[in-house]
Amino acid sequence: MRLISKCLICLFMTAALAEELPGDSLYRLQIPLQTADGRTVALADLRGKPILITLFYSQCSSVCPMITVQLQNIDRHLTQKARHNLTILMLSLDSDRDTPQALQTFKQDHHIDDPRWIVARASATDVRTLAAVLGVRYRQLPDQSFNHSAVITLADRDGVIKGHAEGVTAGGAAFLRKVESTAAAPRH
Amino acid sequence: MRTIVTGLLLAIVSVGGANVAAAGANSAVAGANSAPADSAAVPAGDFAPVLAPAPGKQSVHVTAFRLDKTPVTNAQFLEFVRTHPQWRRDRIATLFADKEYLSHWSAPDALGKGALAQQSVTRVSWFAARAYCAAAGARLPNWYEWELAAAADERHTDARSSPAWRERILDWYARPAGQPLPAVGSGTANIYGIQDLHGLIWEWVEDFGSLMVSGDSRTQGDPDKLAFCGAGALSAQDRENYPVLMRIAYLSALEARSTGRVLGFRCAQDATP
Repeated sequence: MRLISKCLICLFMTAALAEELPGDSLYRLQIPLQTADGRTVALADLRGKPILITLFYSQCSSVCPMITVQLQNIDRHLTQKARHNLTILMLSLDSDRDTPQALQTFKQDHHIDDPRWIVARASATDVRTLAAVLGVRYRQLPDQSFNHSAVITLADRDGVIKGHAEGVTAGGAAFLRKVESTAAAPRH
Repeated sequence: MRTIVTGLLLAIVSVGGANVAAAGANSAVAGANSAPADSAAVPAGDFAPVLAPAPGKQSVHVTAFRLDKTPVTNAQFLEFVRTHPQWRRDRIATLFADKEYLSHWSAPDALGKGALAQQSVTRVSWFAARAYCAAAGARLPNWYEWELAAAADERHTDARSSPAWRERILDWYARPAGQPLPAVGSGTANIYGIQDLHGLIWEWVEDFGSLMVSGDSRTQGDPDKLAFCGAGALSAQDRENYPVLMRIAYLSALEARSTGRVLGFRCAQDATP
């Protein structure tokens, strides 16, 4: 009996070690996300699958629609296995105006209906925190629009950032290969 | 049990006396004042920042706020890491600070000779500065608040066109690096009663990530600009104002986990109605 309980402790310890977050994991941030379908999801709940993250806002008329298309292109060009294993998070910079309804409209306009895609908003403070971790610089202009760097961030299943793609070319083929290898990486 | 009680007391003290001039590294509980005595009121106002807020727009409205009279000291930050040990340099997650975080302290929970109690705390990341202010029931100032408060001298709310104002600050920039930092409160108080906004350290602001600078119209055709969504980068409307432009250049080069030898912070609060 004693031996069994010891082994149980061993098992728990192994599990606890596997659960330990890397020091540079973005899942160390405690950020509640409100999704387009009105659910609240903790950012850290997305742990377990590789992820692509971008910051956008639904009223954006210049670069954002292209970033959305870039994400869709990346997603489309992945192998089925990698694609199946990937989460895509689009987080709004516009905490005030991007209500779940506005985000739902955005999803419909851009034909986003795959449940692996999460379109969400968070509080202005939490958006600032995540932007800081992702290295996204942004500012709201007096007309309510935003200046922001257009960046797609790739993180592995533990939330460790593996790469960034910037600008309208979104890193091209090299970034796609990186997404592919991160998304296809076996579970450790 | 005793430890817990002490911890609670420390937590209460650190909330109540956000900017207490603590007597020393090991007696930081002494001399707790209430928060309002340590911060100064800055009234609301319209203000022309050095960087135009948007194309064709020159001024911003800053609502009334309170700003700490002096930057946060080593003694105060030591008290914070004692009550919030996840911010000790040996426990902080690498996501939140680089390797130089508090590296001039003699130990994770002691200042030592390299960090005097009354010097401004430096080598702190934006995340750590933010956590300190939040624990004190405050926040970091945003850039326009900081720039508005820092535009003042002893007699004017906006002294930026005064050559004396600029020269005094540029003298600081010209001082050789590597000298020990003076104690906080060594500068002259400005018209609001705030000290050390110039001449001591660089200071974090909440929205440092909003400072995307382009004072040079030659970048208009730069392909890098495509990496920005929106009406383009900022342009400087007062290119002569080196003291402020240098601040902006410095802040815009930082990452949130960056630390610097002369990079510290102070806290702000919304004005109580």
